[in-house]
Amino acid sequence: MDVRFLNPFISAAYNVLLEEAGVTAKRGEVKVDEFYYTSEEITVLIGVTGSVRGLVLYGLSQGTAIRLVSTILGKKIPYFDSLVESGIAELGNEIAGGATSELEANGYPCRISPPTVLLGKGVIISTVNIKGVTVPLETEFGPIQIVIALREESSER
Amino acid sequence: MVQGSTKVLVVDDAMFMRVRCSKLLSENGYSVFEAENGEQAVKKYLELKPDVVLMDITMPVMDGLAALTEILKNDPNAKVIMCTALGQQSVALEAIKSGARDFVTKPYKPEKLLRAVEMATSDRSQ
Repeated sequence: MDVRFLNPFISAAYNVLLEEAGVTAKRGEVKVDEFYYTSEEITVLIGVTGSVRGLVLYGLSQGTAIRLVSTILGKKIPYFDSLVESGIAELGNEIAGGATSELEANGYPCRISPPTVLLGKGVIISTVNIKGVTVPLETEFGPIQIVIALREESSER
Repeated sequence: MVQGSTKVLVVDDAMFMRVRCSKLLSENGYSVFEAENGEQAVKKYLELKPDVVLMDITMPVMDGLAALTEILKNDPNAKVIMCTALGQQSVALEAIKSGARDFVTKPYKPEKLLRAVEMATSDRSQ
């Protein structure tokens, strides 16, 4: 996948995690995943349409999600509930919003869909003909996987 | 810290954003009320007459722009601050042209959000 589409999502993830939760993320080894991704306990899915199109996924454990949202809200949340679900979806939305804003500034105007949250580990998600790249981020709250499966609208599959 | 009589209506379909904004504002002395969509926001505006409305743009049932128009129809002096994700600034500017007082961009910086609300409330008499 074109690195011009990858970097905005990585830098937006760094920014949002730092600004929202004060967390510094460290990038692991990027993997090309072909067309399938196996879900984590929590997976946020956001569609991208426009001059760049496809799907962006964020996968993390319930524990990581709870720790992140607890830190942002400044209160201890004991278990995964609709508030944590909403918070993780919003973080995904903010990362995708920041990234697509940068893509637009670089000449690739695009829009994002509202986030969808998949609850359950081990579900195979197909990005259907758009090859995905997995970027693992290590944080003090646990790992977060970002899968970016995007292509330029006019390009050949 | 602000006087508790200053009422802010927080409108967002995301529970997390409502909880977060409400916590920040109530910790800073505001009386906070919540609505989950534009339609609820219009009803609560008429019922509560808040001093400031923090209005998300993309929401189900009735979006933020439509709710802004409805509120201004009923109260042309309403102080509505639009809340927008990065990449939606053009919509926020459209809202400003339609009568919104200001806009703040997500992710919110607490001090920016508080300043926007304070600025809007500072001309309450207008």
